[in-house]
Amino acid sequence: MIPNAVVYGGVTILDLLIVVAIMVIAVFVSKWVAISLRRSLKDKVGREHLEIIRKIVSYSIIVIAIIWALTILGVNLSGLMVAGGIAGLVIGFASQSIVGNLVSGLFLMIERPIKIGDQVDIDQIRGFVEDIRIISTTVRTYDGLYVRIPNQKVFTTSITNYVGNVARRFGYVVGIRYSDDADKAIAIIKNLIEGYPFALKNPPPQAFVDNLGDNSVNIIVRVWAPITDWYGLKMELLWKIKKALEEEGIEIAFPQRVVWFANELKRQNTDKHELSGYDSP
Amino acid sequence: MFGLHKVPLKIEKGGISLHIKKEGEALVYKRESGSEKVEKTLLTSNDKILINPIEPVNTPKEITPYLLIHFEKALLIEPKITREVFVTFPVEIGIFVSQNEHFEICDIFTITKQKFTLYGDPRSGVICRYWGSKVHSSIPIGDPLKEGVLQLNIRNTTAKWIEVSKAVFNAYGMKIYYNDKKVSMKSELKLMGKGSAETDFIDSPLEKGMENSLELYTARKLAITTSKFMMEGGL
Repeated sequence: MIPNAVVYGGVTILDLLIVVAIMVIAVFVSKWVAISLRRSLKDKVGREHLEIIRKIVSYSIIVIAIIWALTILGVNLSGLMVAGGIAGLVIGFASQSIVGNLVSGLFLMIERPIKIGDQVDIDQIRGFVEDIRIISTTVRTYDGLYVRIPNQKVFTTSITNYVGNVARRFGYVVGIRYSDDADKAIAIIKNLIEGYPFALKNPPPQAFVDNLGDNSVNIIVRVWAPITDWYGLKMELLWKIKKALEEEGIEIAFPQRVVWFANELKRQNTDKHELSGYDSP
Repeated sequence: MFGLHKVPLKIEKGGISLHIKKEGEALVYKRESGSEKVEKTLLTSNDKILINPIEPVNTPKEITPYLLIHFEKALLIEPKITREVFVTFPVEIGIFVSQNEHFEICDIFTITKQKFTLYGDPRSGVICRYWGSKVHSSIPIGDPLKEGVLQLNIRNTTAKWIEVSKAVFNAYGMKIYYNDKKVSMKSELKLMGKGSAETDFIDSPLEKGMENSLELYTARKLAITTSKFMMEGGL
């Protein structure tokens, strides 16, 4: 039988045919996986990153097929494995941070906790995401600095995405005097907020007496706003609240202490004596 | 006020003051409404100005294409019926300058109260322009510079009674018509379950002889952009 005819060593023609079949199938599978990856990730991952992922996956399939084919052809891979293992160990130690960043970058692209243009806080670095690359992420801080953060750090640290949702809440504490009418103050604040287009109708704004402080009655004010406009509103609203309250005779309280003297009458006499001017001759 | 005008133009109506005059080769545009004052110089030799109502989602800033109309009193709708009601919607006025046969937006304003709201939750919801309206069984009469009339065909496709207190619309589907006395749109609210419905617009005037507005969103609409809105955040 021709298929069982030995070509060399223990390798038959059948083995050669199997090897050829494995390689052909591997090439087809790698191409199919590459196309599938391109289709499924094209909206999630940038073009240059997609190309890297596609190459890594398709070459990995080819490499696995080659190793399999070599074993069928009777090549003893144990020596190769030992050498490869040692080389891999050395390369692994040398490049562990790069590989870590690379893998983190891949997960970041798949999970997508942040997008380019988002306003984020990554490990206390706050600003706009400028770029998400395969190894690192760049952030332009609010004061205009360029910061490159390794992807491993981005992936393992907590991320706050300030624009991840369509709306957000901000708030103030407004302390008024004990002599002022808190109900009236709340009505003024709510009426003022109602006049601002970007102070959302729903969820409704809140204004309520939160606590009776040492020096003031503290009113908590909470407002929801579109994520695109909350900061402008936050900057404007507090001063407008203060002015609106003052126009109605309600004032922001200052820290103060009421001191009671045990012997008031004597003190008043002393005061009168002192206030009369200079000591009598 | 609405319609095609020729420069020089002077309109004083309903708290709106609009002056457009020719100065040399340019047009000087001045508009006052409420506390807002706008002045522009238009470098054009064309003298045609189109004023018409546009989708009410552009002022004070274009942050959303959605309009939420909150009904003053909730509606309870019988299973498997279709009913026609009328609500109002805010009017925003667009001033267009002509360039041959093409019109370009020059100014947008409104004299109605502007307010936004969140429909759904902060994670998956949408920001909408907010408008509160009574529900009328016949066409309400109002100031066309402030309020338009929206005919709402409510269709309960379910086998249950459904309560509705709001409707959310997509500006990409708005078809606005106007005449001297009215600004109108026609829409459909298809109730699909206790907490879900779909809204869409019908391209037809409320009354015969009404002019079709030149909308902003319709011109921008891409083939993939839907004109419908799926209400899944509650009714």
